[in-house]
Amino acid sequence: MSHSDTIPLHPSSQSDIDEIENLINASVQSGPATVLPARPPSPPRASIPVSSTPFIQSNIPPPTYNKPPVVPAVVPAAVPPPGFGSQANTLTEPVWDTVKRDLSRIVSNLKLVVFPNPYREDPGKALRDWDLWGPFFFIVFLGLTLSWSASVKKSEVFAVAFALLAAGAIILTLNVLLLGGHIIFFQSISLLGYCLFPLDVGALICMLKDNVIVKVIVVCVTLAWSSWAAYPFMSSAVNPRRKALALYPVLLMYVSVGFLIIAID
Amino acid sequence: MDQNQPAGENYANPKTCFFHVLFKAAALAFYILSALFFDSFVIIFVVTVVLAALDFWVVKNVSGRILVGLRWWNEINEQGESVWKFECLDQESLARMNKKDSWLFWWTIYLNAVAWIFLGIFSIIRFEPDYVLVVGVCLSLSIANIVGFTRCRKVMLAKWLDVLI
Repeated sequence: MSHSDTIPLHPSSQSDIDEIENLINASVQSGPATVLPARPPSPPRASIPVSSTPFIQSNIPPPTYNKPPVVPAVVPAAVPPPGFGSQANTLTEPVWDTVKRDLSRIVSNLKLVVFPNPYREDPGKALRDWDLWGPFFFIVFLGLTLSWSASVKKSEVFAVAFALLAAGAIILTLNVLLLGGHIIFFQSISLLGYCLFPLDVGALICMLKDNVIVKVIVVCVTLAWSSWAAYPFMSSAVNPRRKALALYPVLLMYVSVGFLIIAID
Repeated sequence: MDQNQPAGENYANPKTCFFHVLFKAAALAFYILSALFFDSFVIIFVVTVVLAALDFWVVKNVSGRILVGLRWWNEINEQGESVWKFECLDQESLARMNKKDSWLFWWTIYLNAVAWIFLGIFSIIRFEPDYVLVVGVCLSLSIANIVGFTRCRKVMLAKWLDVLI
């Protein structure tokens, strides 16, 4: 277990790691006790509590169903087992593990949402591991690209683009909720942010190539891609009779962003 | 190394404390001083918000764990409901946590939020909606962390009270 990249742990934390390792070794051999399949993600979130708050004490690391048979020699306490993580490990893991875990989650969310995947599971559940880093990055990138392309009033363009996208995502989510749909607030914002990825690509291309015809074609293609990506999630969240009511505003927002990209000179 | 460090003597994790304060201070300093150097709102916005987001991540994932042994996150379970999860170190380790570390942790996150509120009031008074946007984003990130950690601590204390009674 290399500590070269880790923060120097408090001596009491180091003894915790040893204690936890022993407990893991002991409990794996004695079979699963309490099982709490928690995936410990850690993106930036401002969460609004909705339901119960199960509290977990981490001095009893619960082995999970899916834990692969552990070689009794050494369980590296710093690396969470693949799939589900034992709670104890996430409190004492090195910083790099957290970073890597978050980065891989962003990539996997992006692949799930934006890229065609015929085998993906029920779209309503696909973005369960939501995070806001991806959307944040995409919105800022789009704002920056638009601002760069603009020859005058760069600051206003950026501010308008950012405010439009952020407020638009929030309003669209409220729209779905008010239509009686079942979607978690931050899951929806995360989704709408990830669906901006094609428009980001389109904006980048438009910034590099100044021909109007090319711009229109690129924007149409990326717009269609964005809408196609957002469609399954939004439509599965509401009553089938209200699908159009939920989807139309989304389309409207992406079309307006598309116009913004074309019209910037 | 001495495991029972006398509380109040030294910071147990100086590097973590440093990073905990660094991004907050950088975001505030950049926001306040940028008007002197930069004319472009875009740069101010992006740099401040990126620093604030980094600070959020560091506090939530690194300094929360190391300085006070708490962690919180939100998950969506099988039924599609949002669930808050909290986690903390066991009682003995928490008792051994350095008092200075946790003092620094809690005070800086509260002071950070208060500072952003002041800056927000200034920008409202001066009718600068652009800057209100920046302050709004940074403030919501700080408040998120405050709420998360406070709830985590409350739940933890309630749990221990249950165990004792």
